[in-house]
Parts: sequence; C-alpha cells; structure tokens
Amino acid sequence: MQQLVNTALGGITLGMVFAAFALALVMIWRSTRIVNFAQAAMAMVTTMLALSLIERGWSYWAAFLAALATGFVLGAVIERTLVRRVEGGPELNAVILTLGLFIVLTAGAEIVFGSDYRSFPVPFSLSGTEIGGTTYALTGFDIFTVVAVLVTMGLLLALFQFTDIGLRMRAAAHQQEVARLLGVKVGRMLTLGWALAAVVGSLSGLLIGGGSLVHPHYMESVVVFGFVAAVLGGLDSPAGAVVGGLLLGVTLSFVSGYVGSGLVALAALVVLVVVLMVRPGGLFSATTARRV
Amino acid sequence: MTNKQRAPWVVRSTTAAVGLLAGTLVLAGCGAGGREDGGDEPAEAGSTVGVTDDSIKVGAHYPLTGVAAPGYSEIPTGAQAYFDYVNANGGVYGRQIDYLVRDDAYDPSQTTSVTDELVLQEEIFAMLGGLGTPTHRAVVDTLNEEEVPDLFVSSGSLQWGDDPEAKPWTFGWQPDYEIEGKVIGQYISENLPDAKVGLFLQDDDFGADGEKGVRQYLDSQIVSVQKYTSGNTDVGPQVAALQADGADLVIAFDTPAYTALTQLVSLSLGYSPQWFYSNVGSDPTLVGGLLSNFSEGAVEGSSSSLDGVLTTEYIPGVDAPDDPWVQLWQKVWDENGSDGDLTNYRIYGMSQAYTFVQALFAAGEDLTREGLRDAVEEQGGDFAGPNLAPYRFSADSHMGIAGMRVVQLSGGKGEAQTDILVTDIGDAEITTDDSGQADDAPPESGIPE
Repeated sequence: MQQLVNTALGGITLGMVFAAFALALVMIWRSTRIVNFAQAAMAMVTTMLALSLIERGWSYWAAFLAALATGFVLGAVIERTLVRRVEGGPELNAVILTLGLFIVLTAGAEIVFGSDYRSFPVPFSLSGTEIGGTTYALTGFDIFTVVAVLVTMGLLLALFQFTDIGLRMRAAAHQQEVARLLGVKVGRMLTLGWALAAVVGSLSGLLIGGGSLVHPHYMESVVVFGFVAAVLGGLDSPAGAVVGGLLLGVTLSFVSGYVGSGLVALAALVVLVVVLMVRPGGLFSATTARRV
Repeated sequence: MTNKQRAPWVVRSTTAAVGLLAGTLVLAGCGAGGREDGGDEPAEAGSTVGVTDDSIKVGAHYPLTGVAAPGYSEIPTGAQAYFDYVNANGGVYGRQIDYLVRDDAYDPSQTTSVTDELVLQEEIFAMLGGLGTPTHRAVVDTLNEEEVPDLFVSSGSLQWGDDPEAKPWTFGWQPDYEIEGKVIGQYISENLPDAKVGLFLQDDDFGADGEKGVRQYLDSQIVSVQKYTSGNTDVGPQVAALQADGADLVIAFDTPAYTALTQLVSLSLGYSPQWFYSNVGSDPTLVGGLLSNFSEGAVEGSSSSLDGVLTTEYIPGVDAPDDPWVQLWQKVWDENGSDGDLTNYRIYGMSQAYTFVQALFAAGEDLTREGLRDAVEEQGGDFAGPNLAPYRFSADSHMGIAGMRVVQLSGGKGEAQTDILVTDIGDAEITTDDSGQADDAPPESGIPE
C-alpha cells in the first residue's frame, strides 16, 4: 500500500516536472509556431546560473528570480538575433537552428560551469511527509513544484484567453499578414512569446534540478518525456500539457516500479502512439478545423 | 612496420627477400631478435610499434566530458602526474613515456573512433586503462586483432581477463565485480545472517556480475532485486519497492551519482536501511560533496554524510594519509600534478600507471609488444605495488587484483571490518590473503625496479 502511494506520488511530482517543460514548449508553439528543441538547454543555462549565484551566497529566492529574468532576456535575445532570420522560411530551418542552439548552449555551459555533478539546494525540507507513523514521499519541494506548475498553467491560460496581449500574440502567430494589417506589432509579439516561453522553461529547469543533482546534461533525461507530454496534450493547450505530463509521469513511475526501469522509454513511446492513434491532434486539440 | 603475417605476400618474388624472410622467421622462432633502429625492416622478434630509443607512446580513452566525466576524468590526470615523475627521474630504460589521452565522453561509438586514431595514426605501443565496460567492449576486439597490448582496463567486468585465449592482449586491473559480490555476500552471511537483503543494481554487466557473486553466499537472504537504467535519474520507484519488500540491508552496485540519488530518495521515503555500496559507487569525497549542500541540515555535512555505510577497498586511498603509498602519491601530485587536490580517482590512475611502469621494467630493455604481454603473464602475479591483494595474472588468467577488504565509512574514512580476502571467479573459495601484499611499501625512489 505504502509502495503504491509512494509510486503514485513520485509519478505526480515527475509528471509535474514534465508538465513544466511541456508548458514552455506550448508557450512557444502558441506564440511562434516553432517547436523549440533548444528549450532544455536554455533552461539548463539559467538553472546553472542560479546555482552559481547560490554558491556565491545569494538566497535561493533571489537566485530563482534572477534565473527567470535571465531566461526572459535569453529568450528575447535568441529570438531577435537568430530565430528572426529563419522565421517565415521552411519549418525545417527553424528546427535545425534550435537543434544547433541546443548543442552550442550545452557545450558552452560545459566550458563555463564545468561538467561535474553539483547539488542544487532548496529552502525546503527534503524529508517526506509523515502521516500516522508512515512516511509518504511528498517533500516540501514536491508540493512547491506542484503548486508552481499549476499557477503557471493558470497564468498562461489567462494570458492567452483573457488578455488583449494574449490575443495579439495568437494573432501574430497564426496570421502574420492579417495581424500586421490590423496594427499588431508582429515582431514584438514574437519576441515576447520567446521571452515568456524561456521564463517558463527556466522555471521548469529550477523545479527539475532543485533538491537533486544538476550538470550540463541533466535536462536531457527529461527533454524527451517533456516533448511527449506536450504532444499528448496537443501542443496548443496549457491544460493539455499539464494533463499530458501527469498521465506520462504516473504511467512511467508505475512501469519503473512494478515492471522494470528498462521499459520506461518504451512505455512512453507506447503511450504516445496509443494517444495519437485515438486522437491524432492530442488529447486537448481543438485546432484540427483550423489546419489549412 | 614489422608485420610477419604480411611479409610472404610482399617479398616472395626475390631470393634476397626470401632470405630476409627466412632470417626473420628464425629470429622470431628463437626469440632472439635485437631491436633495430629506424625499424622499417621486419628483422626482430616482436612488434616495436610506438617505441623508439628514447620514448614509448601509450594511449588511453576516458570520459573527459559528459555525464561520466565527474570523478573519472581525474584518473588520467593522476596517471599523467606519475608518468611525469618517472620521466623526470630518467624514464624506463632511458625512454620517456608519452601518454596520449583521448576523450570518448563514455560513448562507445566515440571510443571506436578515438581508438582507431590512437592505434592507426598515433601508432601507440599499448593502450592503458581504457575506461568503461560498454565503451571498452567496443574496441577490445580491434585491439586484439591489431595485437596492441591492452593493459589494465578501468572496469571490473569479467570479460577482460576470464578468457586469455580469446583476448590474449587484454588484461584487467581492479578486482572484478563478481569477486567483489562474493566478498560482500560472505561478509553479510557471516556477520548479518538475519538481514533481509535488497539489491540495487545498474542494469548491465556491472550489476549482473555483482549479483552473480552475491548470490553465491546470500541467495536465501535476498528479498528484493531492483535495477535502474543508467541515465534515468528517477530512482524513486526502485527505492520504494525495496522499502515495500522489507529490505533492511541494501547492496548497491551503482555509480557515485546514483549513490547520492538513493540517499536523497530514501530521505523522502523515510527509509533507512544499512547501505552497502560497491567500491565504484562509494567514493566518500565525491558523494559526500554532492550531498553536503542540501538544505537545512536535512543531509549532514561533507564526507560524513555516508557515515555507517559499508563498502570495499582494494588500494589505499586519501583517507589514509599515513600510508606509505599515499605519501608517495601525495609527493608525486605535489611535484607533477595539475590543479586540484589529490583524490581517490587520481590515486587510482597513479596506481595503475605504477603497475604499467612495473610491467615495462619487467619486459626488459628490448621492449616489444610480445615481451610486455609475456612479462605481465609471467611476472605479474608477483608484482609488488599499492594493491592490497596480489594480481591473478598468469598465462591462464588475465584477471586483475584478487581481493579486497570490507570497510565501514566513518567521517570519510574507511575502518577495516575484515582482513584482506582473496578469491577468484566461479566457485573458488574466499581465503584470507597470506602473501603480505598489503604490507608492501614503495621503493625509496618511488619507481618500481
């Protein structure tokens, strides 16, 4: 019983981590129609930066905010200087560019931060929660992770659905020409989309690394599952990303605990294939009608 | 280049050349060929590729970048420091050791390309201490086909030494994981017979060899076997399963990062069994350093965070600064080392380099690849060195160090729980080592004679 609960709890936390990563992908997809393969590396860079600041004596929260701010700037700069040049061209160009960025950022981080494993301390207890003499695998940091992801999801939903700027961002992403004619500053919207996505990505990096070990490759074990979670949810829906992440996290946790850890990657693939067979656009897709 | 196999094709047409060929064969047959300078003619008893009058070229592949780099990338810095020390003191029979390290990032496909580069372009005399089971397995056949001495592989897999006929040029060095499993298994069955044992294993040869050894002594005590895939850092489900199966002693054949992860996960699960980490996963400095930073005293500081953990030891490490070997390594590191402190990984590299220099001296002044291989087979079993137990090298076995002792960590130091126990793969008995190997002190010069 305890194992069942703990495996489920582990799966939920893991799923939230996938969801955080998937949210960043959704964000960038919604605002620029590009799948950003460099997301993991960008998140890693800001997380490593936060860790360096903490090691210099900054408080966790100051470093946390600094990482998010750096993410914002990094996202905007990358969009303005690099991605802008391939926007509007063939989709493959943008994909290759982000893949290249992934490699460059990872290699750069190895040079700047070194390739050692480092521990990322957090201002939360790492002990589980004790209820009635039994310890359950839910640490303070796990609770923080769940809350942070849900809040971010809510904010993104609100941004896109209820604000003027969210509407303009969506318009800029879908119909650049029309949006421009209607007075939307398309370039600015695209930059903002990348910047905000990088903020969400940085958050995911901080949540994944916190209370665990980080090194320039630590996001790579999450990146594939984050993509699967985003695709499960339909790539277009913040809520879908969170549901997709949870579904995947819990499934993988049970496969790992009860079947065998060697089958985890295979299980993720099976979940992906099954969901896409049943709902080709993802669980939360509402966009099929719009496809041209 | 000297290559006896190819000679008949090349020179069959001229009588003079046939005479030369015959001469080569006769010399090879007597084993009496002298070294010839300039070395284009196949007129000596063995291959001298990579050897000149004043140098010996040695190659190695290590993960200098990537996930396996922490810790392991320090090994070649230790070896380099020791070779610098030997070179500064006159080298081996006047030859300086030229040590070429290539980065394979623990990726077998990169190991293949860097090894091809070392063997075919750099023309190394021998490979020394290539690190990793999956990585070195990718190149071991090439090295044997090219007849390159492949000494002291940095991995405890059985395959480097259990079949010298299939791999005549490859030699292990550290104790293999099977005998480590046997020593651990026997210690627990004798000292903790009521323990309910869980196994936490890396899902490859490392875990499988260890489990094979452990099961010889503990089969009935094992209540749970959990395997993790290297690269997947979420070990929560495995540790939760160990807890659910009621294991109160967990034997882990894992790497240092996973040791740290199991400690963190256990904390969140409120699970505190007796941990018994294999030598590979237990470096107190590295793991303690990883754990020390965590918050609010939840994990206690520095190297004492692994207090009470059991592990094994086969060479003296930094926790024994008074050991004469460690004093030698400290001196070598102070004189020749690069940045940073002396660590157990650097000591590992130095110890391996010491054994290699010892083998070079044993092979004699007329150094050939065949001569080096024969020297390790014939004399390796008696090499004095930092190893606590003797090597098992012979014509029938290329397995490395024969044993180890069980230690319990306390404040980053290992406290001996047993004598030096020696054994061999299969059902060989475990006995207390009576060779006095552990009492060896290094020679005054710090260079083997």
